[in-house]
Amino acid sequence: MKTWVDLQTDSFLDANARQRAIGLVDEGSFTELAGPMDRLQSPHLPLLGEAVEFDDGIVTGVGLIAKRAVFIASQEGRFIGGAVGEVHGAKMVATLKLALDSYEKMKKDNPSLPDNRGPVAVISFETGGVRLHESNAGLLAHAEVVDQIQKCRGKVPVIAVIGSKVGCFGGMGFVAAQTDVSIMSPFGRLGLTGPEVIEQEMGKDEFDSSDRSLVYRTTGGKHKYILGDANYLVEDSIGSFRQKLSEVLSLSQDEINAHRRIGSLRLVENQLNKVRLSITLKPKDSKDVWKYAGNDNPESLVDLSTSDFLSVARRLKFMAANEEV
Amino acid sequence: MAKQLLKLNFEFKAEQPMPIKESLHYGVVGSGDMEVIIEKKDLAGKAKFQVVTPVVGYDQVWEKVLGRFIDESNLGNISVEINDNNATPEVVSIRLRQALAELAAMKA
Amino acid sequence: MNGKKWDTRRTDYLERINAAKPLVKTGKEVAASDVVKLLETVIRPGEKVNLEGNNQKQADFLAECLSKVNKEKVYDLHMVQSALALPVFLEVFEKGIAKKLDFAYSGPMGGKIAEFIDQGKVQLGAIHTYLELFARYFTDLTPKVCMVCAYEGDRFGNLYTGFNTEDTPIQIEATKFSNGIVIAQVNKLYDGVDNKIKRVDIPGDWVDFVIESPKPFYLEPLFTRDPALITDAQILMAMIALKGIYAKYNVQRLNHGIGFYTAAIELLLPTYGKELGLKGKICKHFVLNPHPTLIPAIEDGWVESIHSFGGELGMQKYCQARPDIFFIGPDGTMRSNRAYCQTAGHYAIDMFIGGTLQIDRYGNSTTATATRVAGFGGAPNMGCDSKGRRHITEAWMRCGDEFTAQKSFLGNQRRGKRLVVQMAETFLEKMAPAFVDELDAEKLAKKANLELPPIMVYADDITHIITEEGIASMHMCESLKEREDAIRGVAGYTKIGLEADPKVTGQLRKKGVIQTPEDLGIDRAKANRSLLAAKNVKDLVEISGGLYDPPGKFHNW
Repeated sequence: MKTWVDLQTDSFLDANARQRAIGLVDEGSFTELAGPMDRLQSPHLPLLGEAVEFDDGIVTGVGLIAKRAVFIASQEGRFIGGAVGEVHGAKMVATLKLALDSYEKMKKDNPSLPDNRGPVAVISFETGGVRLHESNAGLLAHAEVVDQIQKCRGKVPVIAVIGSKVGCFGGMGFVAAQTDVSIMSPFGRLGLTGPEVIEQEMGKDEFDSSDRSLVYRTTGGKHKYILGDANYLVEDSIGSFRQKLSEVLSLSQDEINAHRRIGSLRLVENQLNKVRLSITLKPKDSKDVWKYAGNDNPESLVDLSTSDFLSVARRLKFMAANEEV
Repeated sequence: MAKQLLKLNFEFKAEQPMPIKESLHYGVVGSGDMEVIIEKKDLAGKAKFQVVTPVVGYDQVWEKVLGRFIDESNLGNISVEINDNNATPEVVSIRLRQALAELAAMKA
Repeated sequence: MNGKKWDTRRTDYLERINAAKPLVKTGKEVAASDVVKLLETVIRPGEKVNLEGNNQKQADFLAECLSKVNKEKVYDLHMVQSALALPVFLEVFEKGIAKKLDFAYSGPMGGKIAEFIDQGKVQLGAIHTYLELFARYFTDLTPKVCMVCAYEGDRFGNLYTGFNTEDTPIQIEATKFSNGIVIAQVNKLYDGVDNKIKRVDIPGDWVDFVIESPKPFYLEPLFTRDPALITDAQILMAMIALKGIYAKYNVQRLNHGIGFYTAAIELLLPTYGKELGLKGKICKHFVLNPHPTLIPAIEDGWVESIHSFGGELGMQKYCQARPDIFFIGPDGTMRSNRAYCQTAGHYAIDMFIGGTLQIDRYGNSTTATATRVAGFGGAPNMGCDSKGRRHITEAWMRCGDEFTAQKSFLGNQRRGKRLVVQMAETFLEKMAPAFVDELDAEKLAKKANLELPPIMVYADDITHIITEEGIASMHMCESLKEREDAIRGVAGYTKIGLEADPKVTGQLRKKGVIQTPEDLGIDRAKANRSLLAAKNVKDLVEISGGLYDPPGKFHNW
């Protein structure tokens, strides 16, 4: 049986949703809510003759990091690719709602609550987005999650952690973009349309999804870190993610806000400038962007260890609206 | 008519049924894999299984695999629920054995 | 002697070379744009043509050119080639440029070939093993024209085939010394005077035309298995193999088949193998493509030598940096050679071990499916007892002494036997049983009109079957009935396994014919991924000190 101590050095990539949830918070502090024993299964899959899971592919619960309440939703990629169905989505929404409710309650009981003592929410993404078998409910769930994230703003920091096999794609790619802070490992992948779908729609010349190196250069943690879509890049171990989480948790709400990638006019302008950059730079490969960001030998970054990469990689600068690109 | 998930029920009784102390959930319903919930229940020494699976036509194989698990483990007074997604008999045996090891570790 | 001409082939050869002269630039160089014309000039309808398609490297540019020839001029060719791995190799049949086919392996094109046979687009000669096909190049299937590929060439015709030499020498030898024509596509062409190729692997005298190909030849990374995909069940079976076979027979010289079972064994050597105290006792000499999953065992000092059929994409630098282990030329780069390596695999190994897809109730096993004519490449030459072998090793002798049926032929004369081990989980993906009443190969034979079903390893060659239920030692059985019982005893919950009589299985366990993991003292609970010396491709890169450079499709970071 894996102990919490084992989990800390275990690969985040190989870990299942429950192991991630348990290992991301302090030892022995995780309490699962609406767990497998509650048997909240999908009501739709049986009608289609598809296998079900007792937790509908998402582990939800609460734990502590340095005595601070951490509400966690952790998706399981091995169950239908971590796809979001009705129950799965509802559990994610409820996790965020619970975090917010508990913030309101704490604030009411203690109006002078320091802004880095309240609860936080963590989503460990591993998903391709909507579960096609129950697509309407799944899409609605996406909207409700986004709604909850907006309600949490300025109150409950919402943190995305991405480093699992399936990556974070489809509608959940949008959701991840709206969190306050995003932490990835080099094995994490973040995007909207998945590589296979791009190839299917646009052809192998546009995107060869069997070229994993290309896929990781385009959607992987290192690229997202250079682009700024990921605030932090950490080693592939549950312990590394937990360590980074606890650092983020010590920040003030203003500092947390400064991590956002979208959510203000200024941030949106910055994103639009990146779009403009892609038009003027016409990159053929992510490496062209890395070079533009100041990495003279972009090829060398591909195989660097995380720590070496972090010590040399130059990130794309924040671009104000009036800045020429 | 769309296909439906199958529910299979089995019952066994070990010669000298051994009780369990805790309930347990183990496994992930990946492709070719399964999960199991094992719960303590007063069943006059019997072990009851419910298997939910999309695969048709393997009732006899399930019966043999689960029967052998009870033969080897001697567990009794348990209710076992399995969600299966095309796990081979070998994977089922491995997962049940691993679940048993988890149970043992919980007791320790 | 009444004016009979004895050199018509030579005259014919010279005529063709003369006819092609206008297309030749300097020395033997032909421009890529002139190759279609060249082929139309030197190939005659109905001739035997050899196109280099190997396990790994593919003369794809020349194949493309052949598919573009005017089929009024060139048609009904008889293709003799090792492997048909790319769609372009089948285009020549689609267009009627070629009609007859003799080959050894088709991999992913197997389905298409079955269709083509069905539609009459391919007349199948035979499916061979590599050595068998090479042997026929020197008897009744000698090519008139042979098209090969190489990394480098010069204007004198010298070729550097290096890491992926594979079949090239034997193809050229058969063609050139029967007055045939040899055409080579090279990735890089040098003048041969100021700029020379790395090493002469094929002398220029044996090559007639050299073309710098517009793009490097295609290489298939056929032997790369991602450790991340190895399952607990495969690890259990690897433990059974190591303890029940490698340790028992002290297997020192061997071949590993493609697949996850043997990849798991390779990755267990530095962990479980070490725990069993096997280091220095087993796995010293391999005939094997440079499997990336063998890196941890090599680095840990298990392996003394590896000779390779072909190279493996991404392993070049690693092999070069381990010249004590691999066969390296004076220039410092590796040279593979399929013909020699297969010869070693037939005569000089004590064990062949690999996975299979189906085993019938008698123990005949095959990877053929109902819809694909795929062939087995070299496996049957290694997965058999080499009857010409006379030298003695411990493993060979021990297996021979256990071979019960041998006595009924040899009396009290002793003789050794090759260990031939087939591994299969009782159920494969989607609940497909590995043990079956009728092999899909039988269905294929009917569909594709083959006289014999393609069997990879026959029951009289197989010595051991390994499943997650244990080992069945087939060679220790007294009779066909006992062999069937042994198979049932390890066939688990398949229909054939359910026929097992527990009493009979118990008796066979007592005799040692069947050994379960428990009989072998293997703790099933230990069979999990934490035993793997490398858990993913990135680990392999790190253990190799950065020398292994995995191809894009395995580069998960």
